[in-house]
Amino acid sequence: MVDLPKKKVGIVSCSGEELAEGTVTRLAALRVLEQLRPADTVTICLPLFLAGGEGDRAFARFYPTIAVDGCELHCAARATEMYSSKPAASVMVRELVAENGLGQPEGRRRLNPAGLQAVDVTAKRITVLVDELLGKHWDRQAGTFVEPQADSAVPESTEETGKVAACSCGSGIPTQTVQMDGQEVTLIALPLIFEQFRQSRKPPSGTTACELLDTVKLYNPAPDGADEQYKTVLMREYAVFYEKEAAR
Amino acid sequence: MTGQNRKSRVVIVPCSGIGKTYGTVSREAAYDVIEDLRPKETQLVALSMLVLGDEAARAAVAQNPAITIDGCKLACATKMVKESGGTVAQDFAVLDVYRRYKQFKPQGIAELNEGGEQLAHTLAEEIAGIVDKLAVGGEGGQNG
Repeated sequence: MVDLPKKKVGIVSCSGEELAEGTVTRLAALRVLEQLRPADTVTICLPLFLAGGEGDRAFARFYPTIAVDGCELHCAARATEMYSSKPAASVMVRELVAENGLGQPEGRRRLNPAGLQAVDVTAKRITVLVDELLGKHWDRQAGTFVEPQADSAVPESTEETGKVAACSCGSGIPTQTVQMDGQEVTLIALPLIFEQFRQSRKPPSGTTACELLDTVKLYNPAPDGADEQYKTVLMREYAVFYEKEAAR
Repeated sequence: MTGQNRKSRVVIVPCSGIGKTYGTVSREAAYDVIEDLRPKETQLVALSMLVLGDEAARAAVAQNPAITIDGCKLACATKMVKESGGTVAQDFAVLDVYRRYKQFKPQGIAELNEGGEQLAHTLAEEIAGIVDKLAVGGEGGQNG
């Protein structure tokens, strides 16, 4: 089984620069990413869903995602669903402030004590959600949770742990665009899959083509009846990749 | 929105990145401009509002010259203003600014170090200068 990135939880903060609550979302998300759950979380800048590439837009399909919003507009949750996939969970700072009887966060530049308390509460809430989501089975192709038996083929990871998570600007899910019957098709995670196959010393062959197809289909929808075409294209692309790497 | 029909106010759009120092510098510079240096001549527009297609945010960038401050080469702020129908009068990349002021080495994300604060303030002063030029020159120039 290939060794693709382990299941992590994506965190998308609204980062609303106009509001103190936006600052709360940013600092709370950062605390989870860097201190509370660094090995289990990743993030992406919200604007990258539009300004980035296909790999960025695949973010919430690849990772179960928590949208962290400051206010009732729910920019993070709505934009994530609009451009990537429906978030697995949502947090809204104003609701948490009310639920916990906190004071009004103020100071978008420098939070007041109530704002700092809101950061604590929000970060803890996100952490609880991260732990809950990690306990469930996520289908990266469908971008939804699935029953455990249906998810058995999803590879878990041996990715290094303890790595400090940071803003993933420019590091969305790696993709590769291939020519399929005259059409450009972008395949999510294909560079990772190729690299893992090469490291496993799997040369381009008919057997490898079948394995490649099975793995690619974990992350990408393939039309019915297109298996042979996919195998041919994947084999061609993998052969190019394999030779290029061997020549290094 | 903070706009509230404030016509002819220069729109400032900083990066919304949460994980890198340059993103924090971009926001600090933006706050410096809109709160301290040119509060009457500028307004802040949050990138998330543009991403969502918020009408008021789109109108603000469509009707006023914008100054964008990007934290990385992906230039989300600049791209989003343009995609929202706005005119970028001047775009700043924090890294480029740092290259010009290497004595101010920024560090920290949740809280900037002194170098970061100084870099942000220096950037803010440059932005204020552009705001003044735009105020004198009317609707401002184009940016490529």
